Amino acid sequence: MATRIQFENCCEVGVFSKLTNAYCLVAIGGSEHFYSAFEAELTDVIPVVKTSIAGTRIIGRLCAGNKKGLLLPHTTTDQELQHLRNSLPDHVVVQRIEERLSALGNCITCNDHVALAHPDLDKDTEEMIADVLGVEVFRQTIAGNILVGSFCAFSNRGGLVHPHTSIEDLDELSTLLQVPLVAGTVNRGSEVIAAGLTVNDWTAFCGSDTTATELSVIESVFKLREAQPNAIVDDMRKSLIDSYI
Amino acid sequence: MHDYAFSGGAKHPKTLVYDPMGPRTGRRAPPAKRRRLLLHGRAVGFSPFFRSLSRHLLRPPPRASSAPTASALKGEAPARAPPALKRSNLTRRRAEPFLLESSSDDESNLDEDDEEGEQDDTIEEILQVDFEFFDPKPDDFHGVKLLLRSYLGDRQWDLGGFVDLILEQTTVGTVVKLNRTEYEEDEEDDYDNARRGADDDEGPYAVISALNLGRYASHQCIKELKEYLIEICHENGVKNKLQPMLEGQQAHSTGLLVCERFVNFPHQPVPHLYDALFDEVSWATEDEETHEIRDSFCFKFYLLLTRIFMKKSSYDSKGRNFDSDEPIVYTKAEDEIFHKVMGE
Repeated sequence: MATRIQFENCCEVGVFSKLTNAYCLVAIGGSEHFYSAFEAELTDVIPVVKTSIAGTRIIGRLCAGNKKGLLLPHTTTDQELQHLRNSLPDHVVVQRIEERLSALGNCITCNDHVALAHPDLDKDTEEMIADVLGVEVFRQTIAGNILVGSFCAFSNRGGLVHPHTSIEDLDELSTLLQVPLVAGTVNRGSEVIAAGLTVNDWTAFCGSDTTATELSVIESVFKLREAQPNAIVDDMRKSLIDSYI
Repeated sequence: MHDYAFSGGAKHPKTLVYDPMGPRTGRRAPPAKRRRLLLHGRAVGFSPFFRSLSRHLLRPPPRASSAPTASALKGEAPARAPPALKRSNLTRRRAEPFLLESSSDDESNLDEDDEEGEQDDTIEEILQVDFEFFDPKPDDFHGVKLLLRSYLGDRQWDLGGFVDLILEQTTVGTVVKLNRTEYEEDEEDDYDNARRGADDDEGPYAVISALNLGRYASHQCIKELKEYLIEICHENGVKNKLQPMLEGQQAHSTGLLVCERFVNFPHQPVPHLYDALFDEVSWATEDEETHEIRDSFCFKFYLLLTRIFMKKSSYDSKGRNFDSDEPIVYTKAEDEIFHKVMGE
């Protein structure tokens, strides 16, 4: 189920949060409204952890992770590292890596099996990604953009990429990632997908500017609508009637 | 729908160029013939960097002075040209309120090699900027939202819905943007439109509109706005006057006057902006399709929400008593006029 939320009147929720299948990180300093949206969906399922990274709130863009691990930039403080190690489940490996490109969220995008990486990442970093996250790493560009982490968001079930991605690129990426991909926008025409959207296998959060069309595309490509007879009526109603949370 | 073109930096600074098409044409009138160089609209961008750059450069420059002038402010502006400016091979543009009386010499100088001008920060340049008034369009959503971000302070409210209301009301309301070259006027090309829409430098610089509080009373954003106003209004006298304007029958004749613009927007187009708005309101009372909508523009009251700064003490630490040391500081010049005219 896709939910529309805002962080302090900003629709770029993918910047201030990181959602995976095993945990969810949110930035501190937002209103309770922001946390309650996450907690409403996720409380009993996965831990929702409030944190900062390198003293900043843009945690979604600084870290990269999936259910097996979390990679943090070298600018992360020891306290933050310890806090994350304590708060996240034990099976999640939390690792701080030395990498010149410290905005790991913009450089790396991954699901539980495959990762796309910035073409200029170090070899060591690539090995670390494969190790910690347990994924196969591919150096790629998306629509000519090297910041793969910003312009695409994908889960184990589907993916959304930059709207100007060509058909050939889409096919190639889809083969690499082994998930269906769609080129689209979030937040009313914003091309920076990962900034406006954060997604895991069963839920997604996007900015409140996202139109109903974009929301329906997101729900269909990430297969968020359960195909149960009794759930269809409720879920379809939510996506058809615009509600401002 | 009328489009006005206001030219800052024209030979005759008070010239108002407007298209002599009749008021009842539905299509957007072609722009007036330009007498100046057509420049790609690569002016002040919306990033904080661009805005600070334009503020630093927004002083009357020494004309044709090649000697480096030492200045603390200049030292802050970077020596290397910002990448976005370099991208366009044409002259960089910015709003230049002080130079509206500039002579035609400036126009010929504009074409000089700007690449070295960008490198050398000691020579300040005069730029000509044309602002044009457009009807609100859905493409302006992000730009107008940016302008209205602090409309209710830092309160979280349905700003997107509010911007939608402004943009839907194409008959009353104006968005000020830079003029576009002939190439860019080809609005048939959707691809280009999408690309252009994403370009912040061609977004709106100012927006003005009047929304009928009764007509839109059912919208979430208007409800939240009313709650906010009642909440922040501390004086009971004002509250008593405010409440009937917001709710009930009187709301249908109350217009919310929304006028927001960037901080360094020149003051010259502003009176024309207001004139255009009030003209549009009076035309709407005649031209709109249904009787209801025509009535909804018969405003008896206007509500203007704005921010002013009040000094805590009446004199500053040095005990000066200049005129500039007034107790109230208005961010928008017209607020002072409205305030005095309304007599509190």
